[in-house]
Amino acid sequence: MVDQLPNLGREAEMLAAMGMTSIEDLFADIPSEVRMKGDLPLPPPQSEEEILADARRLLGSNVALGERVSFLGAGLYRNYVPASVFQLVTRGEFLTAYTPYQPEVSQGMLQAMWEFQTLISELVGLPIANLSLYDGSTAAAEALTCSVRVHTRKATQKDTVYVSELTPPDRLSVMQNYCQGAEISIKFLRHHADGTLDLESVAEAVGSCGVYVEQPNPLGLLDGGIPQLKEILGEHTALIVAAQPVSLGLVEAPGHYGADIVVGEGQPLGSPITGGGPIYGIFACSKPYLRLMPGRIVGRSIDVDGKVAYCLTLSTREQHIRRHRATSNICTNETLIALMGAMHMALLGPEGLHALAVRNMTACIMAKRKLATVDGLSFPHSEGQHFNEFVVELPGSSKDCLAYLDSVGIVGGFDLSAWYPERTNWMLVTFTDQTPEHHIDILVGRIREWVSTLEVVA
Amino acid sequence: MSNLFEHNGAEGRGYSQPAPVLPATEITLPAGLGRKNLPRWPRLSEPEMVRHYTWLSKRNFGIDTGFYPLGSCTMKHNPRVNEVIAQIPGIADIHPHQPEHHLQGLLSIFYEMQYMLEVCSGMDQVTLQPVAGAQGEFTAVRCVQEYFRLRGEDQRTKVIVPDSAHGTNPASAAMCGFEIVEIPSRVDGRIDLDALRAVADETIAVMMITNPNTLGLFEEDILEASSIIHGVGGQMYYDGANFNAILGITSPGLMGFDAVHFNLHKTFSQPHGGGGPGSGPIGVKAHLAEFLPGPLVGRRPAEEHEHDGAVDENWYHWYEPQHSIGKVQQWHGNAGAVIRCWAYYRRYGNGLRTMSEHAVLNANYLRHAIHKATKEAGVDALVVDGADAEVAKHEFTLSLAPAKEALGISAMDVAKGLLDMGYMAPTVYFPLVVPECMMVEPTETESKDTLDTFATRFAEVLTIDPETLHAAPITTPVRRVDEVYAARNLCLRHPYDDD
Repeated sequence: MVDQLPNLGREAEMLAAMGMTSIEDLFADIPSEVRMKGDLPLPPPQSEEEILADARRLLGSNVALGERVSFLGAGLYRNYVPASVFQLVTRGEFLTAYTPYQPEVSQGMLQAMWEFQTLISELVGLPIANLSLYDGSTAAAEALTCSVRVHTRKATQKDTVYVSELTPPDRLSVMQNYCQGAEISIKFLRHHADGTLDLESVAEAVGSCGVYVEQPNPLGLLDGGIPQLKEILGEHTALIVAAQPVSLGLVEAPGHYGADIVVGEGQPLGSPITGGGPIYGIFACSKPYLRLMPGRIVGRSIDVDGKVAYCLTLSTREQHIRRHRATSNICTNETLIALMGAMHMALLGPEGLHALAVRNMTACIMAKRKLATVDGLSFPHSEGQHFNEFVVELPGSSKDCLAYLDSVGIVGGFDLSAWYPERTNWMLVTFTDQTPEHHIDILVGRIREWVSTLEVVA
Repeated sequence: MSNLFEHNGAEGRGYSQPAPVLPATEITLPAGLGRKNLPRWPRLSEPEMVRHYTWLSKRNFGIDTGFYPLGSCTMKHNPRVNEVIAQIPGIADIHPHQPEHHLQGLLSIFYEMQYMLEVCSGMDQVTLQPVAGAQGEFTAVRCVQEYFRLRGEDQRTKVIVPDSAHGTNPASAAMCGFEIVEIPSRVDGRIDLDALRAVADETIAVMMITNPNTLGLFEEDILEASSIIHGVGGQMYYDGANFNAILGITSPGLMGFDAVHFNLHKTFSQPHGGGGPGSGPIGVKAHLAEFLPGPLVGRRPAEEHEHDGAVDENWYHWYEPQHSIGKVQQWHGNAGAVIRCWAYYRRYGNGLRTMSEHAVLNANYLRHAIHKATKEAGVDALVVDGADAEVAKHEFTLSLAPAKEALGISAMDVAKGLLDMGYMAPTVYFPLVVPECMMVEPTETESKDTLDTFATRFAEVLTIDPETLHAAPITTPVRRVDEVYAARNLCLRHPYDDD
């Protein structure tokens, strides 16, 4: 028996009011050739209790990271989101609203998103932020196409962008899908063996439309060379920097060293990992990009009485007005998750952000020191400073090491052969504010054990 | 009037954090990379933060607040158990890169959702990766593009969309690099087959269309339209925005479509969240399946050593389609939204048809009730149907053109008047083919009494004298917002005193 339908049992009465006798009358316009024959081959309806029980059984069989000692990150980072965020975000007025097309009754979400834009703008050091894209990868992809729209007319390398060769393939794949329609050519920037960007290869990007780099880079390395990029590239090439937002409590905001567009995975601020979605993508830019940027933007305005009021603005860039000439096809975005981000940022405050960044980075520093005591491990980028994560080169394959760690109840790091097939011995290990010292000790102990089993075999 | 940035106390401690594992003095950063000034964020204690966002929430209208007949958006009730389920650590606290044996529960639900959407749509393979309807459109058109590339049919450079289509259709196709061919609708809002024939040739890759269409009318000629497009070698794409009308009754597959997207946040009740998250899976016929973004979820009988980790007799696994277009979101899509929609679908199961029947029943009943109420109030000359039809599907359009002509009352005036009555306004000025359009979609989760009262109130708004109505709304947190002022005096962030 289905529920949720207030008019069950009142069908006849409602049909009679319309001069009809059967539900079938309502579908008289659907030709018989396209009618579905028979019932949908699906199980019978369930009650709320049964659904909840099934959900608990099925989802309960997944291994939640919090049940284990975990070192898996690689773009998504376990964090602590204060309880008040979850309590407030499920208020029905936020949760069950649509996009604020009627601003008079949507002031709450509009103001919250205008505040979100301000929080992100301050965080990344750029004057303009939209109210979220789908995730970090789509934000990066939209940044590339935006850079071409803005710069290709004056570019000597027309319709060309450069991205770091370390960009994870799944992220690159999204970029390629978004860029191919506009016939944008994606070229690559090289990195030195120590993990830092090769600035000579950046010189090759001069005259292109945009350059995409990450800070920290996909292997957790903070690259001191990136602040020099804007000077190399000049004003006619967009410098696009993807940032881990929490790192910006310690690391200079990219907008302050010349980034024209800052993107990133907003997830570490406000959102659990949730299997990779829903999360939210950050997109911020400087003024020259404003009218060609993607996504929704809230502006502060006034109502007819002159009172402060908020509404969506610059809609003439968007698909519902400009149709096929829109700057992006995005309509539904990740507003509610961005709202969680805003709530988390509001609770943190500047000093709280700094403290959170310190917790993340010191966990990483401690892990590096302790893992360095294990014979047989090496660290390809050991000269550098890392945020959240770094590469460990193992004396055997990452696959074997991860299987061993899993067998003793540890979710180990990330097998980097998934990104760089020749790096079968590289493992990316991640440490966040949720990594206490004893977890690091457990990891170090178990990896030492695993290394010793290799030596016995040898 | 409160603003987040007015708060500057609490010593920056909205919540206190445990000490770091090492003192901050142990941190060194590459030269020049240390942050000089922290962001000028506000400083709030938790009590202040909670009060701020509670106050904001009270200035926002959701389905929970009242009737939300926003056409094309399917604003149905969002069952709260779905929110409880989405917080279970087995979804909230899992990482997409965990091994398969950590995620058998998730994969089995994904598999079930792929299957459910396949049988409801008549498609052969579904991917859950796209995270919004527009992204689903983009993904499906990309798959078709690769299909034609592999067949060497590079001359197919055009995509047909009706003039009544949602703006995302042409925008998504243009993002893929296609040229857009817009065809006019007939006066009754339906597809013009002659106009279609006139543009259909071997340069067409795809036709994008929704059925029921944006006027809420079923396109009776859909098989003929499909056959025209297939006749020139093109592909048919179904925009699932209006899928709520047809579950268990007909399907895109039966109508001859090759690809379809679903708006899980419409049909399957993922809460809209003020503008997202959504979820926009796509389904395709077998010939397009190898182009879908990966990974997809498959299953095989579980082997003996796998029995411990298995959730049933099967082992669920990821796999990559052979000629995959690659990814459109870096991870596995909006998994948390998919879980909520799974919980929603389970409420109906093989009774999904009843859901659609009630959606259509409610829409037609409301259309009838509005006409009845306006007649009783003597204002029936001010509003006419947006399209002539015996029955609508899950939504219908009204035209306020007569009111505009007679009294100068616009659709927007009526919308603002309805806000004063405590309702969310219907969609206005869409589709563009109906003058002074109001698009009304009540959904199946509204009671007859709500519909009756709304009809009466709607008629009442039309009796308000034009001058008063131009000034509406007056009971809302703010009155009519000046969107032109917003665009001319751009203020996109808090203006700090020291800027």
